[in-house]
Amino acid sequence: MNSFSLGYEIMKQRISAGRMLVIWPLLAMFILFSTWGLSDPKVNLPSEIMIDSAYDVMFTSTAIIVFAATMGAVLISFDGISRDRLSGVLEIKLSQPIPRSIYARSLLIGHWLAIFIPVIALNILSLFVLYYRMDEFPSIEEIFIYNLGTALLLLWWTTLQLLASSVAKDIGSSIAIGLGAWMLFTLLWLVLTTVVAGLSGVGVENLESEEYVGISGIVDLFSPNGVYNHLLEMPLDDTERVPPLFTCVAAIAWSIIPLQLLIRRMERLHP
Amino acid sequence: MQVLLTLSAVSWRHKVRNHSSRKPWAKKDGPGIHNVDMRIQAGEILGIIGPNGAGKTTLLRAISGLYDCDGFDKDCSVRRTGIGYMPEQVRWEGRISVKNALNSIALMRNNPVDIEKIIKTVGLSSKSNDYLDNLSQGMRQRLSLACALIGDPKILIMDEPLNGLDPLAQRAFCNLLKQLAANGVAIVISSHQVSDLEHLVDEIALMHHGQLLIKDSMENVREQLGLGEDSDLVEMICSVTGINPEDVSLEVAQDNLLPFKKIGGEEE
Repeated sequence: MNSFSLGYEIMKQRISAGRMLVIWPLLAMFILFSTWGLSDPKVNLPSEIMIDSAYDVMFTSTAIIVFAATMGAVLISFDGISRDRLSGVLEIKLSQPIPRSIYARSLLIGHWLAIFIPVIALNILSLFVLYYRMDEFPSIEEIFIYNLGTALLLLWWTTLQLLASSVAKDIGSSIAIGLGAWMLFTLLWLVLTTVVAGLSGVGVENLESEEYVGISGIVDLFSPNGVYNHLLEMPLDDTERVPPLFTCVAAIAWSIIPLQLLIRRMERLHP
Repeated sequence: MQVLLTLSAVSWRHKVRNHSSRKPWAKKDGPGIHNVDMRIQAGEILGIIGPNGAGKTTLLRAISGLYDCDGFDKDCSVRRTGIGYMPEQVRWEGRISVKNALNSIALMRNNPVDIEKIIKTVGLSSKSNDYLDNLSQGMRQRLSLACALIGDPKILIMDEPLNGLDPLAQRAFCNLLKQLAANGVAIVISSHQVSDLEHLVDEIALMHHGQLLIKDSMENVREQLGLGEDSDLVEMICSVTGINPEDVSLEVAQDNLLPFKKIGGEEE
């Protein structure tokens, strides 16, 4: 009885779910088309973003990953626990002798793999698109950091969604909590950052000023998407907004704290 | 007969939202079970009967280790290992097969399991590769029973298992339970219909307002309460609580239970 064998079974169930018929094409369009578009030599991007290398394309396309893959994680995991609770299956599962901590980890592994496998497969395909368009591959180190960052981002989002799902007692609440968290970290974070900057006495007229970039870097450590961006900035020259140590500590904290909360929640969960 | 599980003064209160508090997260003690004493013996079929809200499901969940409450001679994790639990009306759904659903439940137990044998036992052989979405309610009940049988449990706990089964399946189900009991498995089965359990159980436990009123064989219970052979649940409860059956109405009392007389114990 271990987390991986049960997690693998859960992954098989989730990856064969009807909703994957929507998620797969959406991810394919977002990831492959963005790579194709951004690798065009004539591409003209706002905010003076320059595309000079294959990794620049990958880094710029993280905006798409943050948008599409995290939404995929939400769609796969938002009812990971609440659905079983509503149908009564959770009662059967919780009455089994498996320790709840192992069951929580299995749920996380299963749901995470169900979104990570499509995303990593499409990321690998996008490397070939890059090679076709730019005649170059990113370095092994760049590919490793990019995929590690993506894996961690999806892990954090899956944990958050499962945690939300364990709280929700109906599908409506599950969707509301899941989408609410996604909108906060993905769409509203800029507003929150601006408010924090304003309250800290930093001018918000120029979002590219040194002070604003510094404070937004710190605020981003409290968002999974922000930490993901910091991680991917590490191989780039002169773009780091916070010291790498801060980014690593935040990544470790995002990997441990929500998981521990999920385990504690599962240990106390009643059907 | 060997005693498999002993309950001594088992109590459990559900936590419900406290609307009188300004804090949205404030909870208070809700309905539950109070001071239940019971012994579950090998090979015995025990029927738990009581009206809606009497605490039957809570008691069964507590026995199954879903609620971590005191008063058992075995702790939660030990109970979960030796008990197979079949909840009421599970709505199995999804694009996975019956076999795969059972496999993933079997992974949650330590011991190796012969899934094919269990599928055959509950009569789902022809459906083993069907998606859960395509099962009828009766088939879903059988699947829940199959889950309870995984790991050869010493005690089977079943919450209203006959609901949703056709008469033929009910008969087959009862035969299976008798066969399991003959092999030494203790079976605890709940119902709000005395007639469901009449010919199946060795003993009945009558529950009301979270309390165990009486536990004995059906004949002894009727004899002690001075009731005839065709007496039903309402007559039994009225006899114990001393209220007139003509006074029973469908109006729900403040504590969400049918308005039988309170018989002491902890107040809400």
